[in-house]
Amino acid sequence: MLEKLVNGFETHLFRNRMWVILSFILITLFLGYQASQLKMDAAFSKNIPLNHEYMKTYTKHQKDFGGANRIMVSVEDTSGNIFNPEYFDTLKKVHDELFFIPGVERSQVKSLYSPSTRFTEVVEDGFAGGPVIPADFRNDDYGLNVVRDNVEKAGIVGRLVSNDYSSAMLTAQLMDFVAKTDEEMAESEGAEKDITTKPLNTIQFAKQLEDQLRGKYETDTIKIHIIGFAKMAGDVAEGAKGVLLFFLIAILITAVMVYLFSKSLILTILPLVCSLVAVTWQLGLLTVVGFGLDPMSILVPFLVFAIGVSHGVQMINAVRRRVLDGQNTKAASASAFRSLLVPGGVALLSDTVGFLTLLAIDIGIIRELAISASLGVAVIILTNLILLPLVISYTTIKPTKEDPVKKAKIENLWRSLSRFATPKYAVIVLISTAILYGFGFQQASNMKIGDLQGGAPALHLDSRYNQDTFHITDNYSITTDYMTVIVEAKPEACTYHSLLNEIDQFEWMVGNTPGVESTASLASVSKRVNAGFNEGNPKWQVLPRTTASLVQAVGRVPTTSGLLNGNCSVMPVFLFLKDHKAETIEVVIAKVKQVAEQLNTDTLQFKLASGPVGVMAATNEAVSEAQLPMMIYVYGAVFVLCLISFRSLKATVAVIVPLYVVSTLAQALMTWLDIGLAVSTLPVIALGVGIGVDYGIYILSTMSGKLTQGMEVQQAYFEALVERGSAVIFTGLTLAIGVSTWFFSALKFQMDMGILLTFMFLVNMLGAIIILPALSAIFWRKPK
Amino acid sequence: MSFRTLRNVVAISLGCLISTASVNAQFDPLSVQIQPLAESSLVLDIAKAGDSLVAVGERGHVLVNQQQDWKQISSPVISQLTKVFFLNEKQGWAVGHDATIIHTEDGGLTWQVQFQSAEVEKPLLDILFFNEQEGIAVGAYGLFYRTADGGNEWVQEFHEELLFPEDVSYLADLKAEDEALYLSERAALLPHFNRVIQLSDNQLLMVGELGLVATSSDNGLTFTAQPFDYEGSMFSAIEANNAVFVMGLRGHVFKTDKLFSQWQEIELPVKSSINNAFITEKGTLYLVGNAGVIIELDSNDSANIVARRQGENIVAIESDNQGQVWFAGSKGLFQLK
Repeated sequence: MLEKLVNGFETHLFRNRMWVILSFILITLFLGYQASQLKMDAAFSKNIPLNHEYMKTYTKHQKDFGGANRIMVSVEDTSGNIFNPEYFDTLKKVHDELFFIPGVERSQVKSLYSPSTRFTEVVEDGFAGGPVIPADFRNDDYGLNVVRDNVEKAGIVGRLVSNDYSSAMLTAQLMDFVAKTDEEMAESEGAEKDITTKPLNTIQFAKQLEDQLRGKYETDTIKIHIIGFAKMAGDVAEGAKGVLLFFLIAILITAVMVYLFSKSLILTILPLVCSLVAVTWQLGLLTVVGFGLDPMSILVPFLVFAIGVSHGVQMINAVRRRVLDGQNTKAASASAFRSLLVPGGVALLSDTVGFLTLLAIDIGIIRELAISASLGVAVIILTNLILLPLVISYTTIKPTKEDPVKKAKIENLWRSLSRFATPKYAVIVLISTAILYGFGFQQASNMKIGDLQGGAPALHLDSRYNQDTFHITDNYSITTDYMTVIVEAKPEACTYHSLLNEIDQFEWMVGNTPGVESTASLASVSKRVNAGFNEGNPKWQVLPRTTASLVQAVGRVPTTSGLLNGNCSVMPVFLFLKDHKAETIEVVIAKVKQVAEQLNTDTLQFKLASGPVGVMAATNEAVSEAQLPMMIYVYGAVFVLCLISFRSLKATVAVIVPLYVVSTLAQALMTWLDIGLAVSTLPVIALGVGIGVDYGIYILSTMSGKLTQGMEVQQAYFEALVERGSAVIFTGLTLAIGVSTWFFSALKFQMDMGILLTFMFLVNMLGAIIILPALSAIFWRKPK
Repeated sequence: MSFRTLRNVVAISLGCLISTASVNAQFDPLSVQIQPLAESSLVLDIAKAGDSLVAVGERGHVLVNQQQDWKQISSPVISQLTKVFFLNEKQGWAVGHDATIIHTEDGGLTWQVQFQSAEVEKPLLDILFFNEQEGIAVGAYGLFYRTADGGNEWVQEFHEELLFPEDVSYLADLKAEDEALYLSERAALLPHFNRVIQLSDNQLLMVGELGLVATSSDNGLTFTAQPFDYEGSMFSAIEANNAVFVMGLRGHVFKTDKLFSQWQEIELPVKSSINNAFITEKGTLYLVGNAGVIIELDSNDSANIVARRQGENIVAIESDNQGQVWFAGSKGLFQLK
């Protein structure tokens, strides 16, 4: 039935091959144009699991508290002292420049120059105070001395001025949407006319920071350090550009490999071109479906290219075989098409389904990866299973006789390999596999969740961004590793002693958790304000029982502090952590949950979580929760597809078991190399399994036909190797080389993904030629 | 007298009601009092109890130092404790917010509540015992309690003699018109009594808000204000080198003779409030205060900054039996290296 269908399809295709090729060219031109419109895109919200419980709290209060999308700019004077006129000039300019960059929430720009930076001091008859930089500030020695005194009185050393007075800080909150420019307004059509805002372009924003702050003001004596998600995304995008070079290198190496394999220039060029067509289509389709290219999904073109080439190689291998058998090129192409459409299609379909399972993970960036990768792989069915044989059919391939010595050598290799399909060797292989698996499983269970290094995990430790992060965390009493617990209560809750006291208790108990360095909340700040109202006497550092005194103390804390909203029905508790390692986060989260459960009442709820570490906690939880379902889906999909194509449970198991062992070993590798399970590494296993299954399918599809005919297992395996062995080994190597160029990426996560994918591609290939035959030897002990 | 006692009884039972209502069934704040950070969070006083030191601070924290290590002891209250006093190595009292008085009979290892009234909404700031039976506790807005039975019963006193003359006549008018308003006004008109010490001639010296320096020769039944030329708050006092020093707001330290007739202001290099003083066995006078200042005063009364610990207010200072000096403040207990 299926065969009939394939044959009919082949007849039609090859009869109209000119038109088919022409339409491919037209589509390629169209999608090529679309691909050229592709933009880099890295929105903050795409990186977080928006539907996670913590993130719902985060989004709910984002408007009041800005959430986690902040940037910090530290302006350093390399002389070690900021109190000189030149420095203050620059600082003022940087402040104004930052203030006017589109996307900056202007009411939340904080620096020495912002009017909300004030000091208060206790004097005999009450308080005295004013802006740290007074309205009549003159930038001279006298003025600077006044500012220096005010800085100390304002208690901002460690926050807005570094502990050693060598740099000063500017912080800004970013908006998710910015106003459209007049031009953009003029361009927009229809319903869009009424929309006056557009999403903030993070990468463009980062470029503005780089050009307008660092580019303009960094000199020999002034150093500008910038951190924050937007800057990091910009640096990641910048680093991702290096990928183009890796892509060229990968193409080059692959070309050499294909040439060595095919010994023919035309047979080298054709699969490469068809694979590049697939890449073009994939990139073009991204624009069509409205996606941008993300630093993470920038890896997909590599995968598409490598998968394309490996299927292309299967195709030219098949054609060449048939030419050697005496067919002309056209007939050989048609016949190769017929024989590969089903196994190739199934293999690519299972890749596609494997990638699609990633959709189950509720993190935007992973979903985009799933869609772009599955699009790309589905496209290969068209380009390398249909277009490639059609194009080959126009060429004339000379049947170069194989060197008999070499042929004998290779046959000897296949002969030796085929011993894995004898019961004796099979037992040895399977026992070693079991031992390896046991060891791997034990290691895999120690796999860490989340980011294991300091700074921004996407970038290398010695990157400018991470160096800036270390400059800021070393010189200020600031950490970027904080989370906030949101306290939801009734309106005006902060005027009730009992409610603030609960928050104070919460803060104290959570503050005593290992990993929490310090804490802040409206309760603890009000206590200090109350001491301030009582002549700065530390003995009054309490929450006053008298409502009037309490209101007086709380009233001094502005909403810009981020410690309360307008009617103080929501009051975050800040937890500053020693780092953002998953273990640290887990301990703190567990403690918060435990204390919250004890303290939560109808009127007062402690809810997780916001702040950078709050987001990480949610991501870690989402990632670790997604791992098992993802594995179940991807293996489920592969299982069903194998079952359909082989119609044999034994064959299906023989394909899947090696895959499973290799996935476990990949997790063990993550433990050894200190690679944490993160948004970037989570999809790798699914990608690895989805692609790894190809080898097994190719080998077993040849074998199963022969086994059904009653051939012995070893012989069947031998013949499968003769027919497909070199292509399979070649495919494994091509794929591995394609992704191994990522080792040299400027981005840490690309390196991690590169290592893991290379491992999965190579070892899955070994699994298919060693473990799979061993399993077959046991399953089909007696020929049917 | 009997009226005030009654009021206290009402206050205590009210306080119990309030606290019962606010305590969540699953949550007992006392059960979570012992925490690793107690030693490094706000500690407000240190006292010697025989060979050991006892420190008190926020959230009712009590810490005992016996062999160079501080160990947190569970205390019966969570109100901030502001002062601790030991009559001898066993008998001690600590006072604090919510008019709390707690008592120990074993040198600070176990404590019992003697008095507490959240309802007065005022802290006690110092406590002093003349013998095992008789003592006084003083606090904010002229809060003053006396016991004659070792603290079983505390009776409130009102030190009208320390009111300003204009407030005296105001109160007298008010009493005739509106008894309730009179009581509430009266409860807020006296200055804070920040510190009370016993001088070597058995006189009491009490210092407080609005330049209050007062002495008493009858164990605090009546006080006589000692006028001098400053109106800011005085936080502490010490007798040293045959003179009396009082100290307080914005770096103001005054030295006077024991008759309080000759006053002299000591020049300090800082404007931070001075919270406390201590004289070592060797005769070095230390002053500690806000903005982390630790100042040494030599025999010529010239000041020398020993340390300035940023972002820290220092409130207490005491030496252990080895002669090592301990400091305490907003970041807990520490020694100078």
